[in-house]
Amino acid sequence: MVTSGIIYHVLRLLSMPVDIRNICVLLAPGFSGLTAFASYLITSEMTTSPSAGLLAAVFMGITPGYISRSVAGSYDNEAIAIFLLVFTFFLWIKSVKNGSAMWGALTALFYGYMVSAWGGYVFITNLLPLHTFVLICMGRYSPRLYVSYSTWFALGTLASMQVPFVGFLPIRSSDHMSALGKFGLKDEDCGNRLTVPGVFGLLQLVAFVEFIRQQVPNKQFQTLLRGLIFVVFVVSMGVLVLLTVSGVIAPWSGRFYSLWDTGYAKIHIPIIASVSEHQPTAWPAFFFDLNLMIWLFPAGVYMCFQQLKDEHVFVVIYAVLASYFAGVMVRLMLTLTPVVCIAAALALSSILDTYLVAENPIPKEPQSNGQARGDSVKSTTDMIKDSLRSTRNPILGIYSYISKASVVGAVTTYLLLFVLHCTWVTSNAYSSPSVVLASKLPDGSQHIIDDYREAYYWLRQNTADKAKIMSWWDYGYQIGGMADRPTLVDNNTWNNTHIATVGKAMSSREEVSYPILRQHDVDYVLVVFGGLLGYSGDDINKFLWMVRISEGIWPEEINERNYFTARGEYRVDDEATPTMRNSLMYKMSYYNYNALFPAGQAQDRVRGSKLPADGPQLSTLEEAFTSENWIIRIYKVKDLDNVGRDHASAVAFDKGNKKKKTAKRRGARVLRVE
Amino acid sequence: MGRIGEPRYAFDRLLTAPDSSATAEMGHLKKQVVTVVLHMQDARYKALRPDEANRGYKLTFESPKNDKLALFQHGERAFDHILLLPPKSKGLGPALTPKLLLQFINQNGNILLTLSADSPTPTSISSLLLELDIHLPPDRDSLVVDHFNYDAASASEKHDVLLLPQGSRIRSDVKNYFGGDGTIAFPRAVAQELGNSSPLLAPILRAKSTAYSYNPKDEAEVVEDPFAVGEQISLVSSMQARNSARFTVFGSAEALENKWFDSKVKSVDGKDSKTANREFAKQITAWTFMELGVLKVGRVEHHLSSITGDAAGNDSVAQLGYLNPTIYRVKNDVTFNIEVSEYTYDHLSPLKVDASDALQLEFTMLSPYHRLDLIPISQTPNSTIFSSTFKLPDQHGIFSFRVNHKRPFLTNVDIKREVTVRHFAHDEWPRSWEISAGWVWIAGVWITVAGWVAFVGIWLWSEPAYEQSKGKKMQ
Repeated sequence: MVTSGIIYHVLRLLSMPVDIRNICVLLAPGFSGLTAFASYLITSEMTTSPSAGLLAAVFMGITPGYISRSVAGSYDNEAIAIFLLVFTFFLWIKSVKNGSAMWGALTALFYGYMVSAWGGYVFITNLLPLHTFVLICMGRYSPRLYVSYSTWFALGTLASMQVPFVGFLPIRSSDHMSALGKFGLKDEDCGNRLTVPGVFGLLQLVAFVEFIRQQVPNKQFQTLLRGLIFVVFVVSMGVLVLLTVSGVIAPWSGRFYSLWDTGYAKIHIPIIASVSEHQPTAWPAFFFDLNLMIWLFPAGVYMCFQQLKDEHVFVVIYAVLASYFAGVMVRLMLTLTPVVCIAAALALSSILDTYLVAENPIPKEPQSNGQARGDSVKSTTDMIKDSLRSTRNPILGIYSYISKASVVGAVTTYLLLFVLHCTWVTSNAYSSPSVVLASKLPDGSQHIIDDYREAYYWLRQNTADKAKIMSWWDYGYQIGGMADRPTLVDNNTWNNTHIATVGKAMSSREEVSYPILRQHDVDYVLVVFGGLLGYSGDDINKFLWMVRISEGIWPEEINERNYFTARGEYRVDDEATPTMRNSLMYKMSYYNYNALFPAGQAQDRVRGSKLPADGPQLSTLEEAFTSENWIIRIYKVKDLDNVGRDHASAVAFDKGNKKKKTAKRRGARVLRVE
Repeated sequence: MGRIGEPRYAFDRLLTAPDSSATAEMGHLKKQVVTVVLHMQDARYKALRPDEANRGYKLTFESPKNDKLALFQHGERAFDHILLLPPKSKGLGPALTPKLLLQFINQNGNILLTLSADSPTPTSISSLLLELDIHLPPDRDSLVVDHFNYDAASASEKHDVLLLPQGSRIRSDVKNYFGGDGTIAFPRAVAQELGNSSPLLAPILRAKSTAYSYNPKDEAEVVEDPFAVGEQISLVSSMQARNSARFTVFGSAEALENKWFDSKVKSVDGKDSKTANREFAKQITAWTFMELGVLKVGRVEHHLSSITGDAAGNDSVAQLGYLNPTIYRVKNDVTFNIEVSEYTYDHLSPLKVDASDALQLEFTMLSPYHRLDLIPISQTPNSTIFSSTFKLPDQHGIFSFRVNHKRPFLTNVDIKREVTVRHFAHDEWPRSWEISAGWVWIAGVWITVAGWVAFVGIWLWSEPAYEQSKGKKMQ
């Protein structure tokens, strides 16, 4: 937001009157361009081939994995963040290569920007120390590394501490899970804040040891080293234990566990697991988002191993970590995409560099061949060795034009198909607003299902200005933005208990829910119901998450098991459990639904089940609005009964059921006391 | 802290800009159009009528048999109040079904329902009463007798004319609108029993502890398991709905008849006295028809305590927008004032809250953070101004000032004023040097700065000669 504000003011300063809205809409594509540029830079650092960088830039520009955040109008902090991520990595590699404090400082600067922009900054926070650590372990310590890491660590930590949200977190490594809530996308955070200062300390030690080794003779150095290692180990363990015991450093938190055990979140932090973006990735998703690059990616990583300079180590680590995280969470595909683009570009460029050369390579003297042929009595081991050496230094170059043409043709076809796929994904998956559903009629014409907007405008025009709407948090922003009414929870609600409260109100009986609704001054309740249309993203399908989340807070009142039948099925038909059928969500979804069908034939097209003959009865709520295709149903919360009855008996009275006289008393008299 | 002086309220302003929620309550007072639905027996209740007329009611008499009788016209109430006398016929007809009567209450109409042991209560009425958790005896002919408090003059045999002192308070903190020194004669009353759960019910007149309800047509010598006994018998009961509409059940229609208004009665111990039925009937009708115990909320205002109205006359406070701001900061000192009057028969008077009770202010977000007694700080001829000054909690959010005063026999007051409470702005915290604990760190910063400058100075000053160092390195 600050970024778009700055752009706006700069453009105004240059006397270019641009609407701030246009800037917001075009911010993501603009930054997408920058990302492409940054990936060109970073790939160019990896290889001498100029084509690799260009390919990486092109891939970055069109790959569906990133275009989901970079289409015009997706005004999200991730739009900026991916650019910052890639560019920070570029600066880091530059600074490690040059050992330059200036590049290190620039890394820190962009790292600070990244911290202020996106919670995923912890990815950098962990990756850079890991890179350093691996380099040290490989015995590749160098003054260059020392300079760049120290510069980045000192300045970057200071910069990140300027962001109010981060505050002193970098120093105390308690990662506040609950506060990040479902927004805490960063599974990769994992209490590993320890590594940053830890690696910094290690680096200082290694530097110190190196320094001493230059000064002290070898023999004394050995004893000194042994003593030093012992002292450091004891001291650091002692301090770590002390801090953990005293609670300054929280040892490992939920997110750490959920990183290793993907089922952890589902059991312990349902709110995180409930977000569809936080689900473990399905295999097709990789192909959908990355297409041909997914099989070029391992080749590219392998090519990094071949050279294995400092920067290649970085790409390897990045690739390994990001692949793992992308497997844990769909959303983290976003962090995987840049490295896939880089690796795929490396692989593809080497293929093209090899095959796309018109003139034949100059053949070298086939020395080894001649030798081998001459000495026929060589042992097999020597032959293998020879053959291995020959593979190590092969004669590069393709002679046959046919093979050149066929390979180049195949690659071109692949690339064209890739472009086709990207265009298709972009137009199908990422170019339509999620509030308007489009479908095709049998005759091929387009049919627009506009229930969301219909309902939101109904709210806007028919309810009091300050009427409070309760809905599941997914619709919070839409109600706030399109209906202009306050909501109980929205997409940015960090308070888990608050969301659980809504979940409890939805999943309890009316008698339990009503006091909750009253306490929160709720005027209307909105539910999404896809049963008529077969729209599967409705609230009954999300219902189990509401149950789980509220069970996390009120385990003795809500129990997930009660919503499943004895055979463990999640059903809404005749066999649904009483808990399920009495829950407010079930009642609101199916209230009056069977009036649409001939008696006893009501059918839910999402769950594909026949509904009970007599539908649920509501006493504390009354239906206020149902959209054209029944996707949105809005209920008004009734006021307390004017003459002090409970709602159930008030409804019964209105229906004409007379209360039975208490003809004969049972038990002791109940006396009235004032 | 502001001075909690007596803010100068001008009452005329109150009238010109009355509180919106109060106007609804006051609607009845101005109209005073009253309709009484009577049965044909009305001659017996003539004595009741002049009272009504004197107090500005317009009376309409209708028989439930009248086809044209309708409580509602175009969906609005056609009458303000209903007085139902026991009908001769069994039912009340299609215009007075329980549903319609309930709707009448829901639309702010008041009902005074009279029962009589002589004519059986229609089932529609008893089912309506059941909805309100008021229970009538299962046998229709039941009446209340008391062998220790009866009128020896008229009911020496049957003991079914009760003599009761005018009502006393039902609870020590509830105002008594039905008090007096007289004796009320209550002939052939129908007992009511009130449910224990509804907070809207309150008995106005209870029987003595020696009374019980029984069916005279029952031939048994001994009454076993009577419907209700003693003080559990409510002879006159009231239900004030949440919208403050009033519904009174009067156990003995006969007590409102002409002959009991000024008759002489004789108690068991032989003392003669005059009945106070006329006065009691006036109290009951006045209360039911919103002449008594009606609260009116005048100005409701809140402001920072540091701003007082007397700086430049009262108007400046309002004009400068200091009054009723929409936003406060945490830990602000805030003053809340509310002006409340009570309507008694024909005028507004200042509300007096009993010493054992208090008008309370809640500062609430989901649940109250503060619940404070509002203290009367001044009075106008018509109203009392209650005030409270307090420090806002250290919690930001959307709060509301709420005065939720619900007492038996008084109309409900539920005033809510929503305000935002923000946290400290970045420039509202104390400056670093004002915090003594921070001096160490400030000193540390400046010493480091000074040390760095000094170090650089010394470093530059003590630069070794270039030649020398080169020579050393060569060695």
